[in-house]
Formats: sequence, structure tokens, C-alpha cells
Amino acid sequence: MSDANINFFKADLRSMEFTLYEHLGAQELFEHEYYEHMSREDCDQVMQQTLRLCNEVLGPINSSGDRQGCTLKDGVVTTPDGYKEAWKQLWELGLPNFSVSLEAGGFQGPMAVLGMLSELQMGANISFTMYSGLTYGAMELIEHFGTDDDKARFIEGMTSGRYGGTMCLSEPHAGSDVGAITTTATHIDGNSYLIKGSKCWISGGDHDLAENIIHLLLARVEGAPEGTQGISLFIVPRDVINEDGSSGENNNVITASLEHKLGINSSATAVLNFGDDGDCVGYLCGSEENVGMKQMFKMMNGARLSVGLQGHSVAATAYLNALAYARDRKQGASVKAFKDPNAPRVSIIEHSDVRRMLLEMKSKIDGMRAIAGKMALHLDWVNVLRDKDPDQAAYHQGQVDLLTPIVKAYCSDQGFRVCETAIQVYGGAGYVKDNPVEQYLRDSKIFSIYEGTNHIQALDLVVRKLRGRKGQDLADFSGDLTDFVEANSQDPAIGAETQLLGEASERLQTAGAAIVGYMMEGKLDQLTLYATPFMQAMSHVAVCHLLLEAALVAEGARTQDFDQSQEEFDFYAGKVMSGKFYANFIMPEVFSLCRAICSADRSAIDIPDNGFCTQW
Amino acid sequence: MKILVTAKRVPDPETTIKVNADGTGIEEAGIKWVVNPFDEIAIEEALRIKEAQGEAEVVIVSVGSADCQEQLRTGLAMGADRAILVSADNPDPTAVSRILEKIVEQESPDLVIMGKQAIDDDSNEVGQMLAQRLGWPQATFISELELAGGGGSATCVREIDGGLETLSFPLPAVITADLRLNEPRYASLPGIMKARKKPMEEIDASSLGIELGRSVTIVSVQPPPERAAGRVVESVDELIAALQGEAKVL
Ligand SMILES: Cc1cc2nc3c(=O)[nH]c(=O)nc-3n(C[C@H](O)[C@H](O)[C@H](O)COP(=O)(O)OP(=O)(O)OC[C@H]3O[C@@H](n4cnc5c(N)ncnc54)[C@H](O)[C@@H]3O)c2cc1C
Ligand SMILES: Cc1cc2nc3c(=O)[nH]c(=O)nc-3n(C[C@H](O)[C@H](O)[C@H](O)COP(=O)(O)OP(=O)(O)OC[C@H]3O[C@@H](n4cnc5c(N)ncnc54)[C@H](O)[C@@H]3O)c2cc1C
Repeated sequence: MSDANINFFKADLRSMEFTLYEHLGAQELFEHEYYEHMSREDCDQVMQQTLRLCNEVLGPINSSGDRQGCTLKDGVVTTPDGYKEAWKQLWELGLPNFSVSLEAGGFQGPMAVLGMLSELQMGANISFTMYSGLTYGAMELIEHFGTDDDKARFIEGMTSGRYGGTMCLSEPHAGSDVGAITTTATHIDGNSYLIKGSKCWISGGDHDLAENIIHLLLARVEGAPEGTQGISLFIVPRDVINEDGSSGENNNVITASLEHKLGINSSATAVLNFGDDGDCVGYLCGSEENVGMKQMFKMMNGARLSVGLQGHSVAATAYLNALAYARDRKQGASVKAFKDPNAPRVSIIEHSDVRRMLLEMKSKIDGMRAIAGKMALHLDWVNVLRDKDPDQAAYHQGQVDLLTPIVKAYCSDQGFRVCETAIQVYGGAGYVKDNPVEQYLRDSKIFSIYEGTNHIQALDLVVRKLRGRKGQDLADFSGDLTDFVEANSQDPAIGAETQLLGEASERLQTAGAAIVGYMMEGKLDQLTLYATPFMQAMSHVAVCHLLLEAALVAEGARTQDFDQSQEEFDFYAGKVMSGKFYANFIMPEVFSLCRAICSADRSAIDIPDNGFCTQW
Repeated sequence: MKILVTAKRVPDPETTIKVNADGTGIEEAGIKWVVNPFDEIAIEEALRIKEAQGEAEVVIVSVGSADCQEQLRTGLAMGADRAILVSADNPDPTAVSRILEKIVEQESPDLVIMGKQAIDDDSNEVGQMLAQRLGWPQATFISELELAGGGGSATCVREIDGGLETLSFPLPAVITADLRLNEPRYASLPGIMKARKKPMEEIDASSLGIELGRSVTIVSVQPPPERAAGRVVESVDELIAALQGEAKVL
């Protein structure tokens, strides 16, 4: 292994365990039929093995992969050194199938645990996990919507690492506006269609890790209605799949080019041409045309949770690296010794401002982990309760729907900012490639863009999700919050912060009412102007609620167990401080955001185009 | 062929170890526990023999508290067939070798593979004592193992001071694994799930009819001296002088 293969990845298993079990109580899942084939001990073992894979295999090829990137030569995409071996090991471990249903040959483990396993893998090597993550996403679409024949042909390959998978939505003129796609599908017979068109930005669009690539592609059947109503979902293998399951000749899927990007450089982002030089055959996924968008929407919660986790995971390792650096780097003397020019130099972790940055990062990471974990747990409860208690299942599904845009946008936005703060903690050393944080920052920018830009998330929240189940989802969300505030406003440890959260929550409701007002009055330009600030404010409230809830758990653990080690005592103290700090330093942004929303200020709409600049 | 391997529960090498308040041991709260890394190598070697032979049974044994189940599960998840937990309160190496002797008598394995030492107390004696008690050949610190004669004999390469030594001996025998013997596999997800259904027998050491008292008393445990802070020297000459005069390494 060369010098370049340094593993910078750092994980905080103790915190993950705290969120998953002590705070969110995920262990309860194992008492229910849907998950009873697993236990917490099994999951702990899987975590340990995953951590080992991250430290020994995925982490060491993260920065080398960034530098080497992917190459396209003679129509063939090559991934960086070590990626093939890592792919093989990943599938031998069976990790990508952790939450795949038993029926599809997986292990049917809880999504909440999968979230933690993902945090490890994504933190170790975000680009590498794109390949396995998209394979999982594409496989899920086939599992949910495909015919038995589709499943028989594709699932085994996609749950064994023999096939990679992609999501082919975007086209040059159809990014956010998926309805504008022009790729066509012409019926041949049965569920076979001829596919023709070009897709761009396709992650894992081609690579050398698997023997074949299965594209899940959106196209328009000839004569289909305009817009999103006329879109169908197809399964398009790169290489023809023979009767015996082996891969045959190219199905006229050509990689035209690879993008040169800011980050995630070892994830191949491809422009793909389908059916340019001959017949490209695709198979309708399921048996119905024109329901492609609906199908995609159904699977979107999982995909968006996953992007939220990406933001969180890269930030988490950035934070831990900054923390280690801050303990090590000596610079300046203690402020208490400001009169003494010969005072000893101290580690920068002793400076208040560095501690502020570290705790800001920590509280955001604790918050991201909690909110993504919470959403995943709601998904698990839907699985557990689906047939047993439809009302409760509907409650959990409602919270999943409501939290989806929040988790995706909050974790991607804040994750990027945490990486930026990590560089600030390093000072000049963070800006150079000897240290990992500049790569973390570059890798993180994409999360707010793909899988629906964060503004698309905000629109989803205000236009659709706030009205979910006729407003019941929002009422449930607010109800849980109000109960918490009422119960804990006088708490000796976090009472003041809880009261502040209560105030913020009231402001948020006022802002929400204003938003609904703009919608009712048909002031759609203003509705969309305030959508992003509203989502940000709501995210802060949701995250602060969870952090204070976690602080209560930690305060309880800290004061009730007299046998614990100093280390455990400090750990819990950290969780309490994390909640208090977030409430006092970060969450109050809610007040300024809500003020802006209620101001009805239209400057951004009314400013003449030339007012931005008369030249450009 | 039947192979017996051992798995001691030890603190994760990554954890920071602190000496307890009365200086008699280490602070155990909050520590992560793992399979002794040398034992992991032993397990891996047994599994490789099993895979090469097609048919063999790998039995994994741990002596200690009920918590050792965790380490046995790891071994089972890697691929061992069944596990034996011998519960004993804080046994010393002599007691462990006595217990293992009894287990070997019960199980009659063709081969016992152990780690050359445990990374917690670094005693490096259980394998040797066990072989002596059984009157079996032993090969310690092995870095290569080859079975011959349909599993009737073995050839081992062992790491000795300044070189390698090759030994041949008949089975049954006790061998202890060194670091370079192999690289242990990961416990896969299917392996972890299968491990739940594999048999784990629990035996109380006091039922074995042997002397379990400690023959070694730990008088005190001390942390290694703190590393002194580094210092920046002004010149190469000063560096050389310091290396010769203070550090005495040149
Ligand atoms: C590295 C990378 C990997 C990708 N991987 C995939 C993949 O695997 N599969 C795939 O299908 N796609 C993929 N994409 C494409 C990605 O999903 C799109 O980039 C994304 O949907 C945004 O579309 P766009 O780039 O065309 O931006 P645009 O849609 O042009 O958006 C530009 C800006 O305008 C805003 N905007 C656009 N429309 C509206 C509107 N109606 N109202 C208000 N604001 C609006 C957006 O929020 C954004 O800020 C990838 C992109 C990248 C960069
Ligand atoms: C691309 C680049 C170009 C540069 N160009 C030049 C140049 O042309 N000339 C030149 O002289 N230098 C140059 N520099 C160096 C630059 O000025 C330093 O990086 C900068 O002053 C920060 O110092 P540092 O990197 O040692 O960080 P540190 O001083 O180690 O700071 C690390 C962190 O600790 C904090 N911190 C440090 N001390 C204290 C304290 N007492 N109290 C509270 N917080 C503290 C900092 O705010 C920072 O967040 C350059 C650096 C880079 C990366």
C-alpha cells in the first residue's frame, strides 16, 4: 500500500449506539415479528465488522480514489485502484443486503440500524458507496413494482454484486423538471420496448466493478400524455442478459463521457446514450405504462433519507478529524495568561472559539444523526405495524413523509457547513490536500443538488407534506412537540432551552399560517419565496426537539448511574451540552427566518432583473 | 477431522486502558471487548483447514465470564461449527490450561490451535502448558502450517529469534499462531445470522473436578510511564548529541 492510502476515517460508535438505542429505543423493534429474526447483538456484530471494513478497506482508498478519479477509455469506465477488491469484499460481507427483505434473499434488518451502517461506509468513502447505494435503490424498484419475471431475471444479480444499478432520470434539459424528459420507448412485444435517448449525470452509469449494469430509466412511451403523467419506468440492462442469466453483448447503451467534478471524484458520473447505433431493448418495470413517476415517488423516501445520511456521514468524520487536530495543534497561550508573554502554548482545543466551533459541529452531527435515525425508525415501525395496527402505521408513515424533505435538505445543507467549519478549525492546514477536510467539503456540495435540489424539497414540504392526510401529519408532529415542551419546561437541566423551543415552535406556527395564507390567496411567487426559509426553520425546531430529548436521556443516565466511569459521565455531559448549545446558539435562527416569512417582503421578487446587475 | 480453537475475551486494542483505583487491574467500565487477535488468527487457520479438507469440525472454546458468549458468537459467525463456554471466575493461565485439558479429553480433537498469547496479560504460556499436560507435541509462534498424511501429521514454520525453524510432528498436537500465519476473515452478515442457530454449550468449570485456584497473584498493576513531551532542537549537531547522550540510541 502506498503512502497515498492513508485512512482518515474516524467513527464515534458510542454516539451512534446512544442515538439508536438509548435515545430512540430501536431495540424494541426486535420484539416484533417483522424483525424478531435479529437481535441487538447481531447488529452490534455487523457494526463491528462494518467498522473494520471501513478502516481497512474503504477508508484507505478514499483520498487516493479522489486523486485518481475514474477514466473512460475506448468506451470502458475504469474505477480507481482498489475499488474492485473493495466491491468484492463488500458483497462477500453481504452488507448491501442488510435491509433487503427476507423474501428477496436479504436479511430484513431495521432501517434505523442500516442508517448507522451507512454512516460508517459513507463516512469512510462516500464515492464508493454511491455504487452500492444505487444498486440497492434500483433493486428495490424492481422488487416493489417488477413482475415475477423481472424479479427472477434481475434481483439475484443485484443482491450479489454481479450487477450494478443506476437511476436514469436526468437529461440535459430535464433536471429539476423531470416531466420534460424526451427519451422514448417504442413497444415491441410483451413488456419489451425499444429505448432511444440520452441521459446525463448518471451516477455509476458505467464501471468495472460488476459484470453488468442495470439501468432503471424513465422514458416516454409514444403517444403518452405530456408531463409527468406520461412517464414510464423501464429496466434497461447495459449488456443483454442471456437465457442462462449470463451477460451477453452490449445492448446499445454507450457511455459518451464522464463529468469532471468538484467532488465525489471516484463515483463515475456518466452521459449515457441509449439506442444510438442500434436497438436498445428495455423492459417495462411492472405491467403498467405511465406510472413511472408514481413508482419513483413511492421509493423516494428511502433515496432521500440516504442523501441526508450522506451529508451527515461525511460531516461526522470531518468533525472527528477536526477534533483530533484541535487536541494536537498548539497555537497561542491560554487567554487566562494574557499578561504573560512567556505563557506556554496550548492546544487550540483550549480556546473558547475553537470549542464553540467544535460544539457547533458536534451538536449539528448529533442532530442530523437523531433526525435521520428517527425517520428511519418511523419507516421500521411502518413495517412492523402495517398489518397489525393500521392507524399507528399511518401515523408513522405520515411522519416519514413529513420528515423526508427535512432530513434530505437539513442534513445536506448542514453537513456541508460542518465540513466548512472543520476546515476553519484546521486553519491553513485544512485548506491543503495533506489533510482530509478539504475533500470532505468538496464531496459534500453535491448532496443539496441531486435527488431533488433542496428547494425542490422545500416545495415538497410546503405544497404537499404540510397537508399530508388532510393536515394530520403536521398536527401529529406539532402534538409531539407540544407534549414535550409542556412536560419539560420546568426541567432543572434543560427547562430554559425547552421554553425557548416552545417559543420558536409558536413562531413557526405563525409563519406556517402565513405560508398557508399565500397559498390560499394564490400568491404562489411568495409561497415559493418563503418555502426554503420555512423548511429551514422547521428543521431547526425538529432537530432541537430531538436534541433536547436526547439531553434528557443523557441527564438521566448521568445522574442515576453511580458506577459509571468518568468517560461515560463525560460522554453524557457532552450530550446534554450539545442540546443546550444547539438551543441557544443555532436554533434561534428560527426567529429571524420566521420574521422574514411574516414580513411579506417581496424584494427578491420585485427587484428588476437588471437590478441584480446591469451588465450580466 | 476435529479442530479445537480458543477465543479469549480481551479489551479492544483501540481502547484506552486505565488502571483501576486500587491498582489491582484495569478499569473495565466502558471498554469494548474483542476476540484476542492471535486467537482470531487461530480460528482463521482452523477454518482454512476445514475448507481445504472439505470435511472437518471446528469447535471454539472460551474460558471466563458469561460475557465471553459475545466472542464465541464472533467465532461462530466467522464459520466455526459450535462453541463451548467454560465459566470460571478470573482463572489464571495454569487454571485455563487445566480446564482446556479436560475439554480436550471430552472432545478428542485432532488438533488444538491457539493464539500464541493474549494481548491483555501477554502471558504466552497456556498453549505450552496444555501440550505438556496432554503429552502432545507442540509448535509455538507458527507462521506457516501444512498438514500431511491425510491429517495425520503436520509441518510448521515457526518464527524464532533471527530466523525461521521448520518442525514436523504427528497429530494430535497443540500449535499456537503468530501474527503472520494468516489474515483473519470478516464475519459476514450471513455468517452472523447463522451463528445464532449454532450450538453453544455452557460448562461450569467447577464441575470439571480440577484445581482452579490461582497459582499467580497479581500484586499491582501500573500504567506505563507517561511519554515525556518532545522538544525542538536547534541543529543537527544538537540532535545527534541528544540521541547519543540522553536517549542513548546511537
Ligand atoms: C454528481 C452528480 C450526480 C448525479 N447523479 C444522478 C443520477 O444518478 N441520476 C439522475 O437521474 N440524475 C443525477 N444527477 C442529476 C441531478 O439529479 C440534477 O442535477 C438535479 O436534479 C438538478 O437538476 P439540474 O442540474 O438540471 O439543475 P436545474 O434543474 O437547472 O436547477 C438549477 C437551479 O434552479 C432551481 N430550480 C429549478 N427548477 C426550479 C423551479 N421550478 N422552481 C424553483 N427553482 C427551480 C434549482 O433548485 C437549482 O437551484 C446527478 C448530478 C450530479 C451533479
Ligand atoms: C493558501 C494559503 C496561502 C497563504 N499565504 C500566506 C502568505 O502569503 N504569507 C503568510 O505569511 N502566510 C500565508 N498563509 C498562512 C495563513 O496566514 C495561516 O494559515 C493563518 O494565519 C492561520 O494560521 P494557521 O494555519 O497556523 O492556523 P492556526 O493558527 O493553527 O489556527 C487553527 C485554528 O485555531 C484558531 N486559533 C488559533 N489561535 C487561537 C487563539 N489564540 N484563540 C482562539 N483561537 C485560535 C484559529 O482561529 C483557527 O480556527 C497562507 C495559508 C494558506 C492556506
